[in-house]
Amino acid sequence: MSIVDLIAAAGLTGRGGAAFSTATKVSAAQEHRARLVVNACDGELGAAKDGWVVEHHLAALVEGARLVTPPGRAVTYAAHRGSAAARRLASHGLPVLEVPARYVSSEESSLVSLLHGGLARPMTKRTPFVLGGADSAGRRVPPTLVLNAETVWRVAQVAARGPQWFRASGTAEEPGPRLVTVAGRVARPGVQETQAGVPVAELLRAAGGLAPDVGSVLVGGLGGVFLTAAEAHAATWSTAALRPLGASVGPGVLDVVDPHTCPLLVVDRMLAYAAGESAGQCGPCMFGLPAVAADWHELATRPSRGVHDRLRGRLGLLPGRGACHFPDGVARFAASALRVHQDHLGDHVAGRCDLVRSGERALVG
Amino acid sequence: MPSSAEPVRSQPSGRPHLDVDRVRCSGHGICAQLLPGQVRLDEWGYPIVVDAHVDPSAGARAVRLCPALALRVGP
Repeated sequence: MSIVDLIAAAGLTGRGGAAFSTATKVSAAQEHRARLVVNACDGELGAAKDGWVVEHHLAALVEGARLVTPPGRAVTYAAHRGSAAARRLASHGLPVLEVPARYVSSEESSLVSLLHGGLARPMTKRTPFVLGGADSAGRRVPPTLVLNAETVWRVAQVAARGPQWFRASGTAEEPGPRLVTVAGRVARPGVQETQAGVPVAELLRAAGGLAPDVGSVLVGGLGGVFLTAAEAHAATWSTAALRPLGASVGPGVLDVVDPHTCPLLVVDRMLAYAAGESAGQCGPCMFGLPAVAADWHELATRPSRGVHDRLRGRLGLLPGRGACHFPDGVARFAASALRVHQDHLGDHVAGRCDLVRSGERALVG
Repeated sequence: MPSSAEPVRSQPSGRPHLDVDRVRCSGHGICAQLLPGQVRLDEWGYPIVVDAHVDPSAGARAVRLCPALALRVGP
C-alpha cells in the first residue's frame, strides 16, 4: 500500500486543530510535488504537544516527513525563534524555519508566506496552497504542504504499525491516539497521550484533578471556548460530544482557569493580547479586535445593557471576514466567556468582585 | 468551523458569487454603493457581504471599480 493508502485506511486527520483529512492533503502534495513544512510551533496558548513530539519522537517525526514528501522536495521544520524545539531541531542538523513569536505567525498560510520570503502573516486562500497559488500582491507561491508535527509523527507510526493499530484507539470519526496539553491550575500540567472518547475528567485527573473551587476550563485556547467546571467534569473528549458546548478537540489544549483571579480579568487580559496580535491586514480584525477588547473591559468595569449589546453585535461581525480564522476564534472565545462567566458578571453589575487579590488590579469600576 | 457573517459559498445558485480578498480590501466602500442590498459596510467601512450571489454585469463592474482590486467574481 502507498503511504496515502495507509493514511487513508487509518483515517488520520490533522492534529493541528482543523482536523482535515491527512490522506487528501498528502495525495495533493504528491500530485503537485509540494514541499513540506512541519509545523512544530505550538501556536495556541497553552499548547506544548508539538514541542513534546520534537523532544521525544524526533526520529519518527523525520521518518514521517520523509514518507509524505516527494523525492527531491524540501522538508522544513517550523518552530518559534528561541524555542526549545527550534534548538533541538537545529542541533540535529534539520532545516528550521524560525517563526516570529506572534500568535498568527504559525498559522498554515503564514508559514507558507514566511517560507517563501514573505512575512509570517496569513494569506488570502483562494485554493489550498498545497496546489500552489499566489499571495495578495500576485506573487506566485509554489505548492507547499503544511502538516502539524504530531500529524507527521502519526504518519510514521501508521507506516510502522499499520492502519488497524491506529484505528484500535479513538472513535470511528476520530480514530487513533492523540496528544493533549493540560495547563493552568493543576498539580501536574503537561502533555498526555490520549484518544477521542475518553472522559475529560480522566484527562484532568491525570494532571492532578481540579481543585473544588475551580470555576471553568478553557478548551482550545484563545480560539476555543470556556466550559464550566461541571461541564468539563461531565464532558467526553471528542468533537461530537463537545460540539453542543460549542467546543471541539482542536489543537488539544485544556487550560484550567485560576479560581483565585477574577475570570473577567482573565478574559480582559486575553482579549487585550488578542487585539495586539492582529496581523493588521484585514479591517474587520484590525479594528474589530481592539473594539471587542475595549467593550469587554467596559462591560467588566461599568456594565450596561448598551455595552453588552454592542459587544454582541461586534462579535457577530468577526467570523468569516478576514484572511484567516483568528477573528473567528476570538469571537467564539469571547461569546463563550459571556456564557460561562454570567454569574460573575452579575457580581460586577452589583459593584462587587470577591476575587481581587491584594495588589492586583481590580476590574470593578 | 465557526459560523460566518457571510453566506456559505459552496451552494450553487446559477449566479456567480462575489469574493473579497480581505488582505487587499482597504475599506473604500465602492462595492456597497454598486451592490446595494447585497453589500453593506461595517462601522469602519469594511464590507459585509449579505448576499454574495451577484448579477454578472453588476459584479463585473464592482470588480473593475474597486480601487484596491480586492473583488473577484467566481462561479
